[in-house]
Amino acid sequence: MALLDVKNLSVSYGAIRALSDVSIAVEEREIVSVIGANGAGKSTLMNAVMGMVKRDRGEVYLEGKLLAERSFQVVAQGIALSPEGRKVFAPLTVYENLLMGAFPRSDRNKIAEDMEWVYTLFPRLRERTGQYAGTLSGGEQQMLAIARALMARPRVLLLDEPSLGLAPIIIKEIFKELRRINEEGVTILLVEQNARQALLLSHRAYVLQTGRLILSGTSKELLANPEVEAAYLGGKPATH
Amino acid sequence: MGTLLQQIINGLSLGSVYALIAVGYSLVYSILLFSNFAHGSFLVIGGYSCYFALKTLGMNIWLAGGLSLIAAGVSAILTERLAYKPIRERTNVTLYLLIASMGMSIVIENIFVVTVGGRFRALPPVIPTDPVNLFGLATTSAFDLISLVVAVICLGGLQLFLTRTKWGLAIRAAAYNLRIAGLMGVNVSRLISLVFFVAGVLAAVGGIFLSVRYTLYPQLGGITIKAFVAAVIGGLGSLPGAVVGSLILGLAEMLTAGFISSQLRDLVVFSLLVITLLFRPTGLFGKSVGEKI
Repeated sequence: MALLDVKNLSVSYGAIRALSDVSIAVEEREIVSVIGANGAGKSTLMNAVMGMVKRDRGEVYLEGKLLAERSFQVVAQGIALSPEGRKVFAPLTVYENLLMGAFPRSDRNKIAEDMEWVYTLFPRLRERTGQYAGTLSGGEQQMLAIARALMARPRVLLLDEPSLGLAPIIIKEIFKELRRINEEGVTILLVEQNARQALLLSHRAYVLQTGRLILSGTSKELLANPEVEAAYLGGKPATH
Repeated sequence: MGTLLQQIINGLSLGSVYALIAVGYSLVYSILLFSNFAHGSFLVIGGYSCYFALKTLGMNIWLAGGLSLIAAGVSAILTERLAYKPIRERTNVTLYLLIASMGMSIVIENIFVVTVGGRFRALPPVIPTDPVNLFGLATTSAFDLISLVVAVICLGGLQLFLTRTKWGLAIRAAAYNLRIAGLMGVNVSRLISLVFFVAGVLAAVGGIFLSVRYTLYPQLGGITIKAFVAAVIGGLGSLPGAVVGSLILGLAEMLTAGFISSQLRDLVVFSLLVITLLFRPTGLFGKSVGEKI
């Protein structure tokens, strides 16, 4: 049984169908990426799993248990999202942002330990612990968004476009950190427009096109797939 | 000199009561981005609860006060659940919330007119109003000093709650982005109820002091317009702004009343509003947003 199991998920915004019958499985300790162009439904997929948008049809299971429909329950069940565009709490300090990430938890000692853990993963955040999140650079805000999601101690970490709007060198740094986080036992589901970076990082991947999954396989296979090459890698450099 | 000091103390006292109302108002605005015009009703509910707890139930001021704070807080939660929640779950247009709040304000006011009548009532003399001599410099009333002290304690308590507690942190996060606060695992409905409860409680404290100052009647909630002006001058959604705006307003009112004419105090208040909006549309501490409702 997969750790996270998305089954036949469909989502509409009014009359517009954003996701049709999408099924995705993520195994324990895996990194799975979903790649696709702008508007393919990647963020909708993340938001539907989190209960931020209403699911028309389909269910999501975590360790075989049906996932709740409301976001605060989803987080408590063990899924956390680093949202598209980072969305850190600008008027709160870095430290307070991290505390917000741990909101559903009441194990104070463990929270302090995890705070130490994310500061070790992202030493730059430790340097800026008392600084307002709004004053951080884009890369630092992305690190904070990831660290904040980790503070929930999720069974599965969801990442929505962690490379968005960042310089290539920062993207590299962040993806290196993601691999390390995964090696420490965190299962990751990632959606990315930056297909090459995502495929280089993940074990398996799905290709999403206008709300439907059109391809899936190991990331290696997809990297070598001529269709994927033409549509998403296009011989372009790894960044946009 | 004595008169000036006396008017300053009276002004700060009145301003601090406005602040209690304005802060709740701003708190709701910062989370839901609409001006809750039913806020004055919470103040009236607090005032009447206190009145009947004292008169009919024969409670002492501490019990009656506590009861009325809870009554106002719970009414605020119910108002949100009945009138606002169904709207905000269907649409993001905050204008509808604004209109619903005007409706609730009329409904609650008229519930009081129908049930207890529209006449003016004086609260029993539970808060001392004896003159107090301040080190021979000025004379003021005990009531003004007490309301000032109580307001400072309440505002300090609110500040501690917002900065030192987990739910306080969540409220500050939600004031920046409610959706993302929900994504952190905050039960957003519960958070909104909590915010309305706090706003209702603070309004009731203000309501009790205002009903002692001016007597109690169903339209007393209309005085919230002053707190609203204060919140706008300070910058809607900003709590320090609401406090500073309220103190400015209270001082302006009392100094006008003391040195020019008490008939001009409202003129001065609204002139301050116009001047602020002309030169600093977002208020003294306001964050700029596209559209304010």
